[in-house]
Parts: sequence; structure tokens; C-alpha cells
Amino acid sequence: MKAWPRELSVGLALAALLAALAAFAPGFFAPQPLLSLAAREAPVLLVACGAAMVIVCRQIDISSGSQFAVVSVVAGLLAAEGWPPAAVATAALALGTALGALNGFLVAGLGLPSIVVTLATMVTWREGLRWWRQGAFVNLPDGLQWLGLGQTAGQWTLLATALALLTLLALAARHLAAGRHLYAVGSDAEAARLAGIRPGAVTFGAFTAAGALTALAALMNVIQSPQVDPKSGTGLELKAIAAVVVGGVAIAGGRGRLAGVLLGLLLLATVGPALTHLRIEAHWEKAIQGAIILLAVAAEGARRRPA
Amino acid sequence: MSPSPTVPRPALRHETVLLAVVVLEWLCFHALGPRFGTLENSFDLLRHSAEIGLLALAMTPVILTGGIDLSVGSLLGLCAVLFGKLWRDAGLDPAAAAGCTLVLGALAGGLNATLIAGLRLPPLIVTLGTYSLFRGLAEAITRGADTFTNFPSAFLFLGQERWLGLPTQAWLFAAVAIAVWLLVHRTTFGRACRAQGFAPEGARYAGLPAGRQLAAVYVLSGTIAALAAVIYTARLGQARADAGTGYELLAITAVVLGGTSIFGGRGSVHGTLLGVAALAILNNGLVHARQPREVAGLLTGALLLLALAAGTGPKLWAARRARATPPPSP
Amino acid sequence: MSAPLLELRRLTKSFGGARALRGVDFDLRAGEVHALLGENGAGKSTLIRIVTGAHRPDGGTITVDGRPAGPLDPRTAQRLGIACIYQQPALFPDLSIAENLALRLETGGPLRRLDWPARHRRATTLLARVGAPLDPRREVRDLSMPEQQLVEIACALGAGARIVIMDEPTAALTQTEQTRLHGVVRELRAQGTGVIYITHRLEEIFALADRVTVLRDGESVGTRPAAGLTEPELIRLMVGREVAQPYPPAEHPPGDAVLRVRGLGRRDAGVRDVSFDLHAGEILGLAGLVGAGRTELARILFGLTPADAGTIELRGRIVRPRSPREAVQLGFAYVPEDRRRHGVILDLPLAHNASLASHRRLFPGGWLRPAAERRLAEDFIRDLGIRCGGPFAPAGSLSGGNQQKVALARWLATGPQVLLLDEPTQGVDIGAKAEIHRLIRGLAGQGLAVLLISSDLPEVIGMSDRIGVMRGGTLTTLLPGGAAPDAVMAAALGRATEAAR
Repeated sequence: MKAWPRELSVGLALAALLAALAAFAPGFFAPQPLLSLAAREAPVLLVACGAAMVIVCRQIDISSGSQFAVVSVVAGLLAAEGWPPAAVATAALALGTALGALNGFLVAGLGLPSIVVTLATMVTWREGLRWWRQGAFVNLPDGLQWLGLGQTAGQWTLLATALALLTLLALAARHLAAGRHLYAVGSDAEAARLAGIRPGAVTFGAFTAAGALTALAALMNVIQSPQVDPKSGTGLELKAIAAVVVGGVAIAGGRGRLAGVLLGLLLLATVGPALTHLRIEAHWEKAIQGAIILLAVAAEGARRRPA
Repeated sequence: MSPSPTVPRPALRHETVLLAVVVLEWLCFHALGPRFGTLENSFDLLRHSAEIGLLALAMTPVILTGGIDLSVGSLLGLCAVLFGKLWRDAGLDPAAAAGCTLVLGALAGGLNATLIAGLRLPPLIVTLGTYSLFRGLAEAITRGADTFTNFPSAFLFLGQERWLGLPTQAWLFAAVAIAVWLLVHRTTFGRACRAQGFAPEGARYAGLPAGRQLAAVYVLSGTIAALAAVIYTARLGQARADAGTGYELLAITAVVLGGTSIFGGRGSVHGTLLGVAALAILNNGLVHARQPREVAGLLTGALLLLALAAGTGPKLWAARRARATPPPSP
Repeated sequence: MSAPLLELRRLTKSFGGARALRGVDFDLRAGEVHALLGENGAGKSTLIRIVTGAHRPDGGTITVDGRPAGPLDPRTAQRLGIACIYQQPALFPDLSIAENLALRLETGGPLRRLDWPARHRRATTLLARVGAPLDPRREVRDLSMPEQQLVEIACALGAGARIVIMDEPTAALTQTEQTRLHGVVRELRAQGTGVIYITHRLEEIFALADRVTVLRDGESVGTRPAAGLTEPELIRLMVGREVAQPYPPAEHPPGDAVLRVRGLGRRDAGVRDVSFDLHAGEILGLAGLVGAGRTELARILFGLTPADAGTIELRGRIVRPRSPREAVQLGFAYVPEDRRRHGVILDLPLAHNASLASHRRLFPGGWLRPAAERRLAEDFIRDLGIRCGGPFAPAGSLSGGNQQKVALARWLATGPQVLLLDEPTQGVDIGAKAEIHRLIRGLAGQGLAVLLISSDLPEVIGMSDRIGVMRGGTLTTLLPGGAAPDAVMAAALGRATEAAR
């Protein structure tokens, strides 16, 4: 009940930004660029959902950007080999799940701290990929882009998929036992154990699911362009975590909602284009995003204080 | 209650094992690459590891308090750009510009300190925010493209020449290393950092100036990042907004590799120095062994996981044997 | 006679090298309250953790309802009707009451759909049964400790538990809440539930228990019917020896007033208008119910939550400690209630713990002096009789009583003028308790002014030169040392002398 004002304030900030844009740069609301923006951010939304699950579980995953790159390149290569899209998608999802499961095993199975584990896997995957591919782009076969649907339809499909998945995950987080187990473990792992929940299994599940979501995000990214950039996904993990934190998910675990994550991402994603439209130099984007993160945590801290 | 199952003291200290690894690395690469063992290359090694080494030194007290500073790489970039700006556009001579940069670095660290120690916000997220903010400011100042070059040779001396037989920055690095070692291992400040890392509330109840000291750790981190930025600029002869990208991760890797617990309390500065050495030798040696640079990155990740597993392994076995967590006191 | 509800035979369990249980036998019948007693480290916690499935025993058998149950895990234990109410409730602070109950009570796979309205209905019903009309939507973090405990009991009721374990459930309760809890326990017993009741308060045993089992050093010393037992007998069983002179007498009359407190208060801590004098060499006991504001008063004096009203006068000078650091410099010392979280730092060596509050005095200029530190630790180990593996043993490796002595040593090293002690013997075994009492008296004898907060009525009466009683956030009554327990309790309750129980 108390969590809504927080999400409300993110929503208000977003509304204010949109209002400013409507007043001073209505060009921002041109349908096609807006749709393109949304389609570009759709994969980020999925990664952020994964990050939210991991953070609710009181862990952190900073390897998702590297996972994203690995899955993108592998999917691209398989497609270039002439695999049918469905097979490519299956293989990519399996790979992402496996990468997530490895993080999960190291954290939940061996009891290593997640920040360092995912730091290590982040470096390992990124460097391994660079060694293997030497920075080479993967050219995709014709017809894969937008799955042959054409750009507008393809973009709508991506957007719809991402939003549908978000809704499903949000419902699962509230109405499935497994979803609540995430919150229980994040709130107090020992109490969860005493309640018969296996914190290790839940943590493992969160990392694995995050891996699968990252793989799906990578696929959604791959089909948006004719080539796969082996450096894709650089910094993605931070963008996702930023959206999660701005969206009001507590970094200490146990609280937060995916609806907030969506708002957080919308706010962060709107800043860049908004700068261009408001004739502010685009180079300020990263600084402003950083400032938004700091404001969000400071607000969270101030809110918590009186309690 | 039964006393919590204490971890059996490992037969070998982490630092001893790491020292053996470093020596082994050295011997291996010496055998593999003919140029590796030369004095010239050793100097190269020192030059290349000075910046990461400085950041790792600054990171050690931070992690000892149970915190983390993800913003040091970005701050290095911001400080490099500010230094360039002060020198070229404000017309300060390099020494004055460097001094101002150190102050600015301390101020940037002060921002982290205010949010973490003053408002009691989680360091991971605060420094994630400043990670983005500092890099973003560097990009905004340079408009993403501006590069500062043509520094006077008197300044480049700091990064590219030798003084008293050693690369100039090695002296600075050694001075900072000794200072941080003394601070962590020989002063009440270091002791208080540990107390804070083990039990933040316990430290407050003991009357330690917990807030002030936490703040000092982040200010120190910012100042040393600024120093690293000056040395970086002097070594490369140029300052750009993307300077130091990813350095925060290398610094954390070195610290954790050096045996400092990411949960705070446990760790040592000499461990960190060995961690830095292990990483630097690996990078440099692989180049000389004609291996691609990426292998070094790959091995860095693997080494980090191994170090972690080695640190947690014995504890894990003890816990497995005792079946689950130590019983809280009745 | 039917098979006992729960039967444990030859249970063993070791942690690392330490043997916590060495072949314990125990049984629980339906419809009885079976008290489990023992000093700390006797193995009580380990025993109940095995029964709840939190620990796996190394050897021995567990029989539930006459059927061998094998090693238990939390789920199985719960299915068999075993529920435990911990002293520190094992609840989820971020989740609502309803969900806390549901997580323990609902069964089914992780992919089942949840019925929120039913969750809320069930929570409301269960809360009503324990007499706690709380909104099931409230988050547990917003509840008080006793409220959380009631949620735990509601949970046990909801699970239809037939074996209920209560681990020092009254340690944090006020007298009224305690009485209500005893009512709930009797209710459970009447319904045929077996209750394992762990407590350090002997009077509770005589009020509630049908049988008593005493553990000592991981072994069962025996099971007796409670009816025939006397207090000295019980104590002898627990410690294996008579505790001769329980409370050391004062040697000198108190000196001049060191501390004068006038009208002290802090609104958000619920403390108002507290006035008293504390003299050199005096032990001023502070009695009262939990929630009466005693710890809060100590926290104000120690600068943890600075006062917003009134004055503190230390040796004739008005002082305003705004942080523990300032308070320490002024000469205050505070041994807090929560030893493991606040009193000592478990991972730091004993010597480092002992010097932690006197860095400025011991290490001028901020440079550590290992030799001086070692000497300090060795002196305290000798003077306070700390049993440990040397000055550099981690504090966490010591027993509770010895940890408490380390906490005390830390403050003695600062050379304080006023020593604030908050429940100094809570969770400390009886042997160490007597030693700590002697230490406190000795310190007062050296001229230290001691404020002793204690919920242990015999302790506060036996130890104090004067007894202050707090109620509703203020100091209501001052009684002479050795006052009748009835008088103290009546003052704490704010009633005339007819006893609470």
C-alpha cells in the first residue's frame, strides 16, 4: 500500500517530462520515431525485468550486458548458417538460460557474493567474445530482419511482446507462489528457509530466469538490424539496474514492482530523445541519467527515514 | 548458545598463495617470451599498472568498510577531462591544474560520501549513479569529441620518463601504497574501517565516528582517482572523456583477488598490491607470449572466480559439515 | 498410556569440533507443557532446531506419534505438526501479515495460483484467535515485537500444530502481554497440544510447566515433574552446583552525585520528564516493563537518540551528548542489550574489541600500539576472568557470558564515570551471571556510578542500592534497595500492591 506513492512520483516525473515535450517540442510525439524508440527499448525492458527479479531476491546481476552480447552473436551466427528462426530462437534461449544458470549456481550453489560472481562472468563473457570474434560483425541473412514483417509491424510486434511479457511477469510476481517466494527470500532468507522455501533454489531460479529474459531481449535486438554488433549490450546491465532502482525496487531486496520498473525505464529512456527535441546537447544524457538514479535513491532514503 | 562454528584457519594465508601465483606467473612468462624479463619491460609493467593500482589501493578501505565504489573509472575520465580543461582553457600550468584536479576529485568523492555516509544510502547504487553522472559530465564537457593533447614535456615526464632510475609515476604509486598501507594496518582509522565493515551498528555503539570515517573513505577514493587521472594523462599524453572506462571493475577485481572480503572487515593492502601485480603481469606477459589481449581478460575473470571460490571454499565446507547457518544465540 | 507425541533418543550433533548434543533423550506428551532448561551452550537451541528441521542431527532417532520420523527438514516438520515460536520472530519484514502467515501455512507447488482474499480472511480469523485485532495488510516491519510474536503464534495455530516450541517467548513481552501469552499456552495445552517451553525465568516454569527437562553440556540431566521441584533444586540441576551468595552486597555507602538528570525527554522515543540523581559508587536499578522507556532513556544519555527536552548534568556541568562519540568523551559508557549486534563485534579479536572505544586514549595520534593493546586485553582477561583462547581469539568464539565481559571491558578501558548497563545478564548462563554481578558491584565499589536496567526482578532488587521504576516513558517511583518484589512490580504496573499474577 505504501509503495504506490513512490511509483506515483516516478510517474509524475515522467508526466512532467512528457508535458514539457508536448509544450516545447511536440515533434517528439511523431508516431514513427516514437515507435522506433519504444522498439529499441523493448529489449531493455526485458533485461530490466530480469534484473528486478534478481534484485528483489537481494542479489545483483551485472553480467546481463555480456550475456546479451554472447547470445546476440551466437544467434546471429546460427541464423547465418541457415538455421530456421525457430531453431535459432530455441538455441539462443537455451544458451541464455544456461548462462543465467551458471551465475545462479555460483551464487546459490557455492554461496559466492553475486556482485563479484557476475563481475567475473561479465568480464569473462565479454573478453571471450572479443577473443573469439575479434570484433567482427555478423551479417544476417535477408528476411530475418523484422522477421519479414516489415519495420512498422515488426516494431509493434516487439513492443506488444515485451509488454505482454511484462504483464505476465507482474501477475506472476503477485499471484503465483513462485513469485512471492522471490520476495520472501529477498526479505529474509532464513525466515524463508524456516517456512520451507529453499532460498538457494529460488535464487538460482531468479538468475536463470534473468538469463532467459536476457536471451529473449537479445533476440528482439538481433531482428532489428541487418547485422549483429559483437559489442552490443555494453552498459546494458547498468541501464537495466538503473530502471529497476528508479522504479522503486529496493536494492536491499523484498520490495518493488514491475510496474515501477516500466515507469523507471520509460523515464530514463525518454531523457535522451527529449534532450535532442528540447535542443539540449545530447551529450548530457548520461549525466542526467546518473542524476536521476541519485535522485531516486535519495528519495527512497528520505522516504524510509521517518519509519 | 554453541559458539558459532569458526572457520578452521587455512593452512596457507591467502596472500601467501597469491604471492606464489605471482612468482609462478613471472617465471612462466619469462620462459615464454624472451623480452618479458627485461628491465625495460618491467618498467612498462609498472607504468601500465600504476593507474589501476592506485584505484585498487583506494578501493581497499572502501571495501573494508563493506562498501564499494563503482564510480572511480568514470571519475578518472572526468578528472582527466577537467585537468585538460584547466590546463588548456583556463591557462593554468600543469602543476596548478593537477592540484585543482585533486581538489575536484575530492569534491566528487565528497558527493558519494554525502549520499552514502550522510543520507545512509546503499553504496552500490549511489556509486552506480555517480558512475553514470561523472562519465556523463566528462562527455558533456568535451561534447563527446574534444581531446586534450600537446601537453608540455615537463608534464609528460611524470608519465613517460624515469626519475632516479624508475618510472616517475612508480614513485608516486609507491608513496600512495605506503600511505594507504599505514592507514589501513597501523592506524585507528583502519581499525575503525574494519569494525564498520564487520558490524556498522556495533561500530556506532562503540562511539566510533562511523559517519565521518565512512565519508573520509569515499573522499580518499575520489582524490586518488583524480591522481590516477593526472598520471594517466601524462602517460598517454592525452585526455579524453572515455579515459578509464572499465577501470572500476579491474580495481575491484584486484582487491578481491587480493583477498579482501567483499562483505567488508577482512582484507589487506599488501593483498591488493599482489592482486594488482597478478593482473598486470598476466596482461603484459600474455602480450609478450604473443597471445591476444582478450585472453588476459578471460583469465582475469577466471582468476577472480577461483580466488573467490578459494576464499569461500573452506567456509563452505565448514558450513556444509555443520549443516546450515550458525545458530543465532538464544 | 499412548505413545508420546514426540520422542527423541540419543540425539547427537556437533558443530565443527564442538559437540553441542551428546546423546539427549527427550519426550513430549499430548496436553503437557514441558519446560526445557539449561545454561547457555547446554544445547537447548540445537535441540529445538533439530526438531524444527533447521539442523540435521549427526545421530539418534526422532519419533513422532510413535512413528520414526527420520531427520526432519522444515517442511516435513511442519507437516508433522511441529511449530516453533522463536524469541526473535522469523518473519518477513517486507511482507504483509497475511502473506507471512500464508507462506508458512499454504502448501502446494511453486506454480500454484494464490487466493489473496482467502489469505486475508484466514489471517483475520487467526489473529482474532490470539486476541490480536491487526489489519492483515500491514507490513510486519511496522509491527512491535510482541505483535510480531502474536503473529507467530497465530501461525502455529493456523498450522494446527500439535507440537509447539516456544523459545523464550516472554523475553521481550510486557507483563500484560506475558499474562496473555500464558493464557494462550494454557489454551493450547487444554486442546491436547504438547508445548516445549524454553525460558530463563524460573518463575514461569512453576506457573506453567507440567514437566521439566534440564540440559547441561549437551546432555540431559533428567526429566522431573514440575510440581515437586523447588527453585534451588532446579538451579543445582542446571549448574551442577549451588550458587552460594547470589548477590554481592555493597561495601561502601555511595558518594556525591555524579549525574543529575532533570526533566529529560525525547518525544519520538516516548520518554518524558525523567529526573533522578546518580551517585558515585551507587548502583541505581531501573525496573519497569518492556516498553516503559528504560532502553530509550539509556539511548538518550548515550547520545544515540539525543534528548529534545530537559538537562543532563555531569559532575556539575550541563552536557548534551549528541552522538555516542560525544557521550564516550564525556565519560558515559553503555553496554547495550543486544550483545551480538551492538555490544561486541563478533569477527574482531577480543583485544581489538576491548580497545575499540578508547582509541583516542590508547593510541595517541591515531597510531596503533599493538603491545599496549595486548597488555590491555591480557589485563582484562585476568581481571574479569574471561575464558578465551587468548587475546586475539575472535569475540564470536567466546560464550555469551564471556562476550558480555568483553563488552564490559571495552567500556572499562575508557575510564568512564557513568556506566549504563542494559540487561547485562540476559541470555547469560547462571555461572557467568554471578560473576558479572560481582564485577558490577566491584566497579561500583571503585566509585563508578552505575545505572542498571534489568527485567530480571530478583537481579534488579538484589543488585541495586536504589531502584527506579519507569512506567509510560517516565520515572515514576524510587524505592530503596532490597524493596519487596511486589512493590516494584506494582509500581511498574502503576497499581496498588495486589500482585499482577
